Amino acid sequence: MGAWGFVALAYGIVWAALLIYFFTLKNRLRKAEARLAQLQWLRSKESVGANAT
Amino acid sequence: MRQNETKRRPGRVLGVLASISIVAGLYLAFQAPPDAYQGDVQRIMYLHIPSIMAAYVCYFIVFVGSCLYLWKREKRDDILAKSAAEVAVLFTALTIIEGSIWGKPTWGVWWTWDARLTFTAILLMIFVGYMMLRSLIEDEERAAAAGAVVAIIGALDIPLIHMSAYWWRTLHQPPSIMRPDKLPWETVKWPLLLPVIVNIVALVLLALYLLSLRFRLGETEERIKREMMEGTA
Repeated sequence: MGAWGFVALAYGIVWAALLIYFFTLKNRLRKAEARLAQLQWLRSKESVGANAT
Repeated sequence: MRQNETKRRPGRVLGVLASISIVAGLYLAFQAPPDAYQGDVQRIMYLHIPSIMAAYVCYFIVFVGSCLYLWKREKRDDILAKSAAEVAVLFTALTIIEGSIWGKPTWGVWWTWDARLTFTAILLMIFVGYMMLRSLIEDEERAAAAGAVVAIIGALDIPLIHMSAYWWRTLHQPPSIMRPDKLPWETVKWPLLLPVIVNIVALVLLALYLLSLRFRLGETEERIKREMMEGTA
């Protein structure tokens, strides 16, 4: 492998790893925020129900 | 909702700044002249040095967060330390991979048990162990306290990594831009130094942006736990 092959390998691995981590992190965050919103909605619904009774 | 938007703004600013500096860094890395001795392989250094700098910044945050947690026992400090450790492990692993790819055409080997390389591998193993330890202890407060102690001990490896090239006879060359006796521009010419500096800024900003996202995830997970506990109470 020539010099540019090693350069391409290094830059390819690093940026692929960073992009995979970034998108995985974004996905985990989106899911967690959706779960939190769902729990908060359920809790507010429960408290409205409890106040009504 | 508005409060959430205000909280996200610094993260977004970091993300935009990181993106701009990454593009500038990549342009400079490939536009710089090849090194007189190493040729084009030296371009890997425009990733290698910034990656370890980004990792060091994250380890510093882990160290500060861990000390603050042991002192004040606030969950927020623990989330900060845990988040920074995850990003630091990623950047340390990438540093070792880049160094290995650079080492093959330059030294003729993918890996050698040189002092600096070995201490960096030990640092990575300590923080992989830190993450495993945290996941193995069920009691969250005990996990956070044990993790904080491991993180503080682990961070002490960083001065050893930096000084190893001076204290031992190593294959790894001593620092070119962080020498105690000379300023960076006295040892490296500007056309080669500028890409290093811009890429350091880029990867440190990227690491801080990733850390801000990971910290937000940690805080959200904590709020989910609280919501669930209050729901069952």
